Amino acid sequence: MPRRSALAAGMAATLTLPVLAGDLRAPEDVLQTLIDDNESAYLTQSEQNIMMMPDNAALWTAEEGKELFFEARGPNNESLETCDLGKGPGVVDGAYVELPRFFEDTGRVMDLESRLVYCMTSIQGFAPDDPEVKQRHGSDSDMMKLQTFIASRSSGLPWNPPMDHPLEQAMRDAGEVLFYRRAGTSDFSCSTCHTNTGNRIRASVLPSINQPHEWTKAISWPAFRVGHQQVRSSNHRIRGCYWQMRQPQSIPGSEAAIALMSFWTDAARGAPAILPDKKR
Amino acid sequence: MTNRHLALTATAALLFMLATATTAAPPAPEAAYTAMSPEELADYLIFEAGGFDLDAQTQDGGTARERMTQDRTQKVCSAIARSGKDLDRATAAKISALADDSIEYPDGGVELGDWKRGEEIARSGYGYRIGHRVDDHDSRTPGGNCYACHQLDPNEIAYGTVGPSLTGYGRLRGASDAMLKHTYQILYNPNLFFPCTTMPRFGHHGTLTQAQIADVMAYLLDPESPVNQEPPKTADAEQAAAD
Repeated sequence: MPRRSALAAGMAATLTLPVLAGDLRAPEDVLQTLIDDNESAYLTQSEQNIMMMPDNAALWTAEEGKELFFEARGPNNESLETCDLGKGPGVVDGAYVELPRFFEDTGRVMDLESRLVYCMTSIQGFAPDDPEVKQRHGSDSDMMKLQTFIASRSSGLPWNPPMDHPLEQAMRDAGEVLFYRRAGTSDFSCSTCHTNTGNRIRASVLPSINQPHEWTKAISWPAFRVGHQQVRSSNHRIRGCYWQMRQPQSIPGSEAAIALMSFWTDAARGAPAILPDKKR
Repeated sequence: MTNRHLALTATAALLFMLATATTAAPPAPEAAYTAMSPEELADYLIFEAGGFDLDAQTQDGGTARERMTQDRTQKVCSAIARSGKDLDRATAAKISALADDSIEYPDGGVELGDWKRGEEIARSGYGYRIGHRVDDHDSRTPGGNCYACHQLDPNEIAYGTVGPSLTGYGRLRGASDAMLKHTYQILYNPNLFFPCTTMPRFGHHGTLTQAQIADVMAYLLDPESPVNQEPPKTADAEQAAAD
């Protein structure tokens, strides 16, 4: 892949058409279209969850996140309106489906969570150990509220993580290795479960990375998990999967976690995001 | 670890030190990362860049780092899966031979254990999980989690379908010495017959003891086991028989 200069990448970003509010679609409509257009045991496994999508508790979490986003907070008493999520300062609409991506100011590929940490510490002046930043899990955490708001402003848009920068490509490729990497006392990898189409683990139908219409739902986090009664993040899903695989605990914000997300988002490229989602 | 990998790791570490020494901003890893192959970068992210809590203790008295370190079978089978290609015959033979070498047989020969204990093992997904919630083997014996992937008792509806159905396993195959040995080998290290299978190597890893394997074998092969009973007659089936 040809290397592009920082200037060219910057210009390309400003030339991208803005997302219009009308481009966004309600998550239940996105899911219904996918169900109508595809035969998938995974998408249709819980009639009850599909029915409850319009009453998803994660919609409230997104509302709370919206208030937090625009509120002047932290030692610097600043809102997050100058936070650059990849499409320019304060641009939230359509930002999430283009993450993870390379950021010039940090020289790194970052996912939504690590970018939020960066903005909350650098703009608002929070310390990494402040509860606003440190508490990552649960619907009541600032992190989940903010993530759910930002992600919901990409619902219905196709996943489209940029691959122009050499680091974006390198991280995606390393993430692919991680996804297929078998290890531990059970020889498991992510691919052990997620290359199956229509198969179950116990009573749960697995989503396949090879089916974009399934994979988009699988990676549509934040989602309200009915079994947990909490909104959960991508990093929470990764932690749970590594736990099930009998492998070490994944560290949120680490390059390994971001690489994995780069690969899994690339695998859903073009399929519309369902945000916020509701899962079992 | 190769010399090349060591050099790349050192480069990345140096970049990190330079970056932290001159500014408060995080390091710029571009040069180091793009110089590595995807495999090298993945290993670097796991073992050098803080991707996982590698110092955690495991139930088997080791560390999480060891859990992440691949053996030959894991390495080869991961690469094949990622390539999307079928396993070639030469590689399949090598993986199978590694499995053959790994199998240790019970001193008194392969025998069936207790199918009731085997059923508990087949149903239990407990054991060997680490991280945010560590399975405590002193309070609960680890299981084999067979139902996650296989159908066994025809009356159990919550069975996985990643692996083949094993309902009627003994009824269909009998319980000859050859079948007992065959089943023991599959449970101990299924790569012997199915190179790069997704099924774990329960005996090889020691996640099931020889006695537990014997119990699971009884669940599969004992004529008394629910696995080998005729499937239940449903109202639909009875109606169909009457028609």
